[in-house]
Amino acid sequence: MLGLSLALFGAALAAALAGIGSAIGIGVAGGAAAGVMTEDPNKFGSCLILQALPGTQGIYGLLIAFFVLNKLGLLGGAGAVDLTWNQGLQILASCLPIAVVGWYSAIWQGKTSAASIQMISKKPEAMGKAIILPAMVETYAVLALLTSILMLMGVQVG
Amino acid sequence: MGVARLKKAELYYHKSVHEEIAAALQESGACQIISTAEENSAPPSEIEALISQTDDKLSDIRYLSRTLTPHYVDPIPALDRMLGERPEVTMQELAELSSQTDLKKICEQVREIERETGDVRMKLSEARMNESLLSSLGFFHYPLSVITEGTRTLTGLIGTLKAENVNGFRAALGDFSKFLNETELVIAPFNEKDKAQEVYAALIYSRNIESEVRELCAKNGLSVIDVPSVFAGTVDEEKEKYSASITELEAKEQELSAKMSEAADAYVPTVQKLSDYYVSLSGRYNEMARSYETDCTMLTKFWVPTSKADELKQKIEEISTDIELVMSNPAPDDEPPSLLNNGDTVRPFNILTELYSSPTYRGIDPTPLLAPFFWIFFGMCLGDAGYAIVVFCTILYVFKKYKKIPSGVKEFIRLFLFCSVSTFIYGVISGSFFGNFIDSFVPVLIPFKNSLMLVDPMTNPMQVLGISLLLGVIHLMFGLLIAAYDKLRHGEFINALGNDISWFLLIVGLCLFGVGLGGMLPPHFVQIGQGMAGLGAVIIFLYAGKGEPNYFKKIINGFLALYGSTSYLGDILSYSRLLALGFGSAVIGMVINLLGGLAADIPYVGWVIAIIVIVGGHIFSIAINILGSFVHPLRLQYVEFFGKFYSGGGEPFTPLTLSQEFVNVKA
Repeated sequence: MLGLSLALFGAALAAALAGIGSAIGIGVAGGAAAGVMTEDPNKFGSCLILQALPGTQGIYGLLIAFFVLNKLGLLGGAGAVDLTWNQGLQILASCLPIAVVGWYSAIWQGKTSAASIQMISKKPEAMGKAIILPAMVETYAVLALLTSILMLMGVQVG
Repeated sequence: MGVARLKKAELYYHKSVHEEIAAALQESGACQIISTAEENSAPPSEIEALISQTDDKLSDIRYLSRTLTPHYVDPIPALDRMLGERPEVTMQELAELSSQTDLKKICEQVREIERETGDVRMKLSEARMNESLLSSLGFFHYPLSVITEGTRTLTGLIGTLKAENVNGFRAALGDFSKFLNETELVIAPFNEKDKAQEVYAALIYSRNIESEVRELCAKNGLSVIDVPSVFAGTVDEEKEKYSASITELEAKEQELSAKMSEAADAYVPTVQKLSDYYVSLSGRYNEMARSYETDCTMLTKFWVPTSKADELKQKIEEISTDIELVMSNPAPDDEPPSLLNNGDTVRPFNILTELYSSPTYRGIDPTPLLAPFFWIFFGMCLGDAGYAIVVFCTILYVFKKYKKIPSGVKEFIRLFLFCSVSTFIYGVISGSFFGNFIDSFVPVLIPFKNSLMLVDPMTNPMQVLGISLLLGVIHLMFGLLIAAYDKLRHGEFINALGNDISWFLLIVGLCLFGVGLGGMLPPHFVQIGQGMAGLGAVIIFLYAGKGEPNYFKKIINGFLALYGSTSYLGDILSYSRLLALGFGSAVIGMVINLLGGLAADIPYVGWVIAIIVIVGGHIFSIAINILGSFVHPLRLQYVEFFGKFYSGGGEPFTPLTLSQEFVNVKA
């Protein structure tokens, strides 16, 4: 059963760490958004979009966690597949890219979002640039997600 | 297509018709005024008077809208307003409305209500404060006049002290008045255990020992509080009086607030209309103030799109015969503003270019170049036939219901309408319909779904990764070719060859080489690829060393330039996000269906919960994935694609137009 535990530990890390990162990132951006909206409540729409940007890492983490659960046969009534500890470790390793990169990139993306929110408070017409700057950070979360997916697909179980 | 051609117009006219001219230029919505007046010079006198008049009106309007809007409930929902469901008026009607409305009188009336409200609020807060003080003084049974006025021989004070100091204070007072019997101390009931609580105390004493008593209080920790001098009767009497006056004041406050809402309902629609009217006028006069004047004539210069020049000319010549309008093409040293002029299919994509930076007047308009790529990329990222249908139908419904959508908003919505088509196509060929809805709930359709599938990212992601990277190479190479074309257009043959064509050869060559080795192309492509890559590399090497006399440095520069190929590798890998995001929306959809399926197993209410989970979940998924599918393909345009050939830097064409913040104004 060690294999299953290791694999579940990986899924938990992916969902938890990336989720923590997104929560912090959105929190940081939300603080900036609230500050800007005290001056101009009409910016709610654009602030909300910028605040939501660091939220994707949490979703990527969740996605990988579900991917693992699906692979382990824990979703639906089929029952868990048998794993050797080695296979479990492989799955755990596959979860690490999105867990770690999701965690950190969401925090930094949140900081960039907060700065972008400050920017549109002064220059609302620069919305396009304001969206792109945080998206630059997200690139690495997307790459990590891709790495995790490809690694997971490579791991043979059952 | 591309950047619209502009004419530079010089309009000479007699001062007597300057108002008609200004109105015509503004109502055409096609003229950007060029400043002809010298820096800091006063505006033409006729216009200066008009500016100060409109500023006067505007300050009243701003006051009214600031004061009344918080009390106004807009009968038009905010979404409808955004989509153009607003009153329609003409400038003529607005002018009449303005002459019938006495803004000063309305301001007076509103100011009066505001003043009264402030007054009542102040009285109310004072009364509440007194009431709360009285409710703490319940322990004191004498009339309060003993404290506030005193009698011939007696007076008193009220103060607070900490519970732990009460006994000490009693003892000190006892020592002090042992023989005098001239004081009476009343202390409010308090809880012995809570040492830190503040306890109210009243002290009555003979007038002739006033200063000693005060000194004693200060020493023993009793801080005297100010009792308002209006308190005369007993605490209960006073309390009754204040609660009656508070009720009265509250009623009054409510009445005033109702009056304000009434005023808001009555005046806000008018104020909003007049706001648009005067903002338009103010914009008009301030722009026209940049004209040049002589004693009797004025000269206004402006840019006008060539396509609208004739129509405008006709309109202006109808105004008066004392007019000379000269139109000319921009001189080589002019820097005209840029206006994107694209057909119906490309126009929705204009906003993507404008969000980055407008092209210069003589530069390339990248919109038609990026449009097909953005369309495909968006489709691959959202990649779900079900989501595409939802988006498509929602937009059609909006277009059917709202007929007056402002053009900017309409184009932006149309962008998503277009992109929902590519989303549908990619959804069908990748077999995604609300995630794996078909596999989970309608297995009957599986063979039909599978028969339409061309790629399967779930079981064979490498195939889609390959397609994504290939699209990336095409996108980047297209960018390089545009850059080369732009340089050739300006006669910079060597730069085009060294900066762009060489890289094109190198990368396309390497791709052919790699794909040929992989056995996916006939073997002679390997040689062609080798040749192209080799030629490209040689050109890059030589070009980087150009103009460097030292041979050693030439070689170093050459190798450094070739090292730049790593940045192309990064650029190409960046397109793997197309796979990742498409995968993301498919898996989120799958997760929602799975949760819905699990919920359906709950007895009796399961199907209700399942429907809620599936519908709500997919709506959430659509929202979050549209955001991602918009932002990431946009990044690919801005960073990877524009990086090769486009820097923008033009000044957008901002014609003088009518303000339409609250109402739809027609000329």
